[in-house]
Amino acid sequence: MGALAAAIAVGLAALGAGLGNGMIVSRTVEGIARQPELQGPLQTTMFIGVALVEAIPIFAVVIAFMVM
Amino acid sequence: MQPYDQMMTRQRKWMFYLLAILVLGAGFTDYPRIFLGLLLGAVLSFYNLWLMQRKIKQFGQAIVEKRSARGIGTFTRLASAALAVLIALRFEEYFHIIAVVLGLMTTYVVIMIDFVFFKSRYLHREER
Repeated sequence: MGALAAAIAVGLAALGAGLGNGMIVSRTVEGIARQPELQGPLQTTMFIGVALVEAIPIFAVVIAFMVM
Repeated sequence: MQPYDQMMTRQRKWMFYLLAILVLGAGFTDYPRIFLGLLLGAVLSFYNLWLMQRKIKQFGQAIVEKRSARGIGTFTRLASAALAVLIALRFEEYFHIIAVVLGLMTTYVVIMIDFVFFKSRYLHREER
């Protein structure tokens, strides 16, 4: 049951991270393609967004390995 | 230097300071297990930070130059967190597991503090 719990935790967290990262990256690509001179600020915003989105799946991976 | 590069340098500098403090804590205090756990987590967290900065810079450059971009390294970052936990669970007598988890989160603390300071500085510059 521990392995199942770990798999569900990592799977759902990865799903959420994938959706979140996809939204961030798509908007950044759109913004930079429209205005290449805004590459710096958009990259910074993307960097912070990706960092915040990925904190939760990293916690999930840690918890999954601890319950296994 | 571009603001993004300045941000990268600042964040790496703060992470190096933090790692130096953790090394001193592991060497000279009575809690080496906790500080070694924090150090292990912070080292892999620093690797995550470096990878994220590098991948996002490459990604932005690829869009500007209209090249196809590869991924942004999400899976590698998850794998490095898993590696930290595996090492901590395997060598439990040397590393405190909760400290490793806290160490893994240091990058996010550094990013958020840097962002808050940078944003306030930027706003002050705009007001002048």
